[in-house]
Amino acid sequence: MVIGAKEFTEQWIIGELYKQALTKAGYNVELKSNIGSTTVIDGALTSGQIDLYPEYTGVILQVLARSRTMPHSAAETFRAAKAYEETRGLTMLPPTPFQNRDAVAVKPAFAKKHGLRTISDLKKAGHVVFAEYPDNMEGALGYREMVKAYGLRNTEVKTLNIGLQYSALDHGQVNAADVFTTDPQLARGGYTLLDDTKGYYGFQNVAPVVRKGVQEKQGPEFARTLNKVDALLTDQAVREMNRAVDTVRLAPSEVAAKFLKANDIS
Amino acid sequence: MSAAPVIPDYGSPSACVANNSTFCMDWFTAHWSNLFWPALVQHIELTVIAVVAGFVIAFLMAVLAHFQGWFAMPASALSSFLYTVPPLALFQLLVPVTGFSVLTVEIALIAYSLYLLFTTILTGLREVPEDAVRAARGMGLTRRQILFKVELPMSLPSLVSGLRVTTVMTIGTVAIAAYVIDSGLGSLILKALQSPFNTQFIGAGALAVILALAADGLLVLAGRLLTPWARSRKAA
Repeated sequence: MVIGAKEFTEQWIIGELYKQALTKAGYNVELKSNIGSTTVIDGALTSGQIDLYPEYTGVILQVLARSRTMPHSAAETFRAAKAYEETRGLTMLPPTPFQNRDAVAVKPAFAKKHGLRTISDLKKAGHVVFAEYPDNMEGALGYREMVKAYGLRNTEVKTLNIGLQYSALDHGQVNAADVFTTDPQLARGGYTLLDDTKGYYGFQNVAPVVRKGVQEKQGPEFARTLNKVDALLTDQAVREMNRAVDTVRLAPSEVAAKFLKANDIS
Repeated sequence: MSAAPVIPDYGSPSACVANNSTFCMDWFTAHWSNLFWPALVQHIELTVIAVVAGFVIAFLMAVLAHFQGWFAMPASALSSFLYTVPPLALFQLLVPVTGFSVLTVEIALIAYSLYLLFTTILTGLREVPEDAVRAARGMGLTRRQILFKVELPMSLPSLVSGLRVTTVMTIGTVAIAAYVIDSGLGSLILKALQSPFNTQFIGAGALAVILALAADGLLVLAGRLLTPWARSRKAA
């Protein structure tokens, strides 16, 4: 069985967790890590080059199903994503507790000065310079729609590559930034997240997307193993594992092995 | 919901690693066995398969072109065309057909290696002095015997020089294979881009350079061992 994973830290780790747990359960598993973007890995799955990969529920709706609106709860998002994948001969196992969502971060001093709690409070700060990564300008969850949804008329955008937002905030080059909630740089502290009161950024739990035939062929132990791993993936657990790879610089395989061992899966 | 997970202690980075200094020897040695060594071995495997397979194909093409003059033109045109296609583009074109696989990478690497190998092998065969071939024919050797006993040994220096250039070039190109398969030293370089880490860039890059130099040195040595007459002639 071949597992795929996309091209960033969190995916390398989850790919390793799946691979190691399934191997321990007696399966013969190969991991193809670091496979391109969502559309590329989706193509690899539907053409049978891989049998499963971990995907974010909101991403399925936004990128693959091209939904114009997002559901209003994590459970609904999962149901809608699964229903979409079922139409294509795929299915999804239950999602993780953790989410890796977009969020708006500001420096605590800036939040205090203007009394900011929610994204729409940014209006109170007057002229705001906002950091967005290049891929997320357009689209249902993109910068332009976000500004419209929250009525932020006095915002200037700066496109910055993923990872650079934090130093831009620290150095005062921007006032607010689109960040990922499981990014270890965020966990280092020193930032305030503004409440997304409209649920604008949607829900992004992770669930394995599997070809239907594969799940039937591999039997119940297969789903049980993956579910056991996914149930352990809380916000804190995933943020710590991301930190172990991106900051402590352990290999994703080491981090996965340590985590599974600590939780009696290996 | 299930119980909260146990979160193990992943430790903390050394000062060098935390500051992303130019090169952290402590980290490099700690990850030699689980990162650098496996990647180096994969890099060597990918290179050897490509060079050996490329050599066999180019060799057969060159011998055919040597015996059947008309074949030289189309073979040269095809191999030089393949040489002009950037390997990364070829990888991407092949992915829909052969997938994210070693096969995809090898097809592209082999296609890329043919031109230099074909040209040098054919040139070597053609530059064998006519006198030597005539003498062999006079001694009653068959065409096949002339090829294996006279022409090939005499074209070895050209053949080895072609292999040297191709091997060094392939070691460099294998690094790009990481866009298709998570393997080799290029994979370490590509992954270190995500949250920049100098030790990983420099460690993997330096290993690729050392590997290229070592492979070149070995081929020079092999060439000398295979052509002892060249040295004795010089000594004489």
